[in-house]
Amino acid sequence: MTASIGLGGPGVACSAMRVRRLDAGELSGEELLRTEAHVAGCERCQAMRRAIEAEREALHRHLPFGAFAAGVAGRLAGPAQAPGPWRRRWVPLALAAGLAAVVVTPLVRQSLSGRDDLLPGVRTKGAATVEVQVATPAGSRALAAGEPVPQGAAMRIVLAPGGRREAAVALVDRDGPALLYAGPAPSGVVPGAFEWTGEGDGELVVVLDDRPVDGAALLARLRDRGLAGAVPGRGAELVVVPLTRSAR
Amino acid sequence: MGTPPSRGGAAAEPGNAGRVEELYRRHAAGVLARCRYLLRDDEAARDATQDVFARVLRSPGELASAGSPTGYLLRAATHQCLNVLRASRAAWRDEIRRMARDRREQGIEPESRELLRALLSAAPDEARELAVLYFVDEMTQAEIAAETGRSLPTVRKRLREFLAAARTALSEAMPDLVLPDPEALP
Repeated sequence: MTASIGLGGPGVACSAMRVRRLDAGELSGEELLRTEAHVAGCERCQAMRRAIEAEREALHRHLPFGAFAAGVAGRLAGPAQAPGPWRRRWVPLALAAGLAAVVVTPLVRQSLSGRDDLLPGVRTKGAATVEVQVATPAGSRALAAGEPVPQGAAMRIVLAPGGRREAAVALVDRDGPALLYAGPAPSGVVPGAFEWTGEGDGELVVVLDDRPVDGAALLARLRDRGLAGAVPGRGAELVVVPLTRSAR
Repeated sequence: MGTPPSRGGAAAEPGNAGRVEELYRRHAAGVLARCRYLLRDDEAARDATQDVFARVLRSPGELASAGSPTGYLLRAATHQCLNVLRASRAAWRDEIRRMARDRREQGIEPESRELLRALLSAAPDEARELAVLYFVDEMTQAEIAAETGRSLPTVRKRLREFLAAARTALSEAMPDLVLPDPEALP
């Protein structure tokens, strides 16, 4: 005995794409009138409209504008379609879950105390903390202060923003700065696991502010002025985590 | 879709912030939804979405000359995700096996969108892309031909290829399920 199963596809007058184009204001003339009249009386197309609205809500939940703009700016700042000094890698879900389960313990944070010569005018309130987590075949854990990053390890950043509302995270090494995140300051795991590729030592630069931190501008300042250019204004806070690599 | 130029630094200039915001407001929700559907991984979907828009900003003329910006961006998202998934066909086959097991052991019939996604793995690259346009975006074959610049017979042929490959894949896991007759597709 057999049963047939459909896979969807266009209806006589129904089309998900046409509803999307209607919503985006891309229809005109006769096509606009015909589609409006059809959608108004079609339950299937009304359901599509509700699905589009749900997509908008999901966008704000999963990819807020700050994170989106920072991600796009980071890609535009680097070479197109080529692996950069730092590049994101897809991290298997099981690995991501393991990372998320790590208990936040040792804090790998270096405030700017004693580095005012490098960063004049920077205030460090000392409330924010940054932790680097690594996942290796042996399991996932917080990286201890001064401990080299294992080769090939998936890494994540855990942030305690100390009341700051916005954050940007950049990785700086001999190949230059790369933006890892910019957007609302999460209290916990910063979205996105990554692998640190390239050569040499580096620094993780975390800028916290009450105003949105422009990721593209941060990269430009880091390129032009190094760490001294990291902070956008006097009200911001900077946390720098030195990173070294384990021997190959 | 053309190959993007090697550098796109100019598009990252602060003056383009308004353009990025407009693209986000108008199109990011649909692109992210497409990426989440095809990749089934929120983080990978976020990355793919940002890759799509970075590519668009590198070659703004392509979007400007597209008949439908929505159609262009969804095609770009589909293309991006299928590239990401090209190396993981084995995982998609596992998905079909899981559906077959759920159906056999728990009586859960596969949902058509989920089944479609799993069956895409079985088809050749070009057929997969056209199958998404047809079955997910619900574009007619004539609309697909116009959108992709292919002839109508070519679109028909690719959809037949997809259904033939899907039928073969399904016959192993769920032999009693019958897919639509390719000749009967509207």
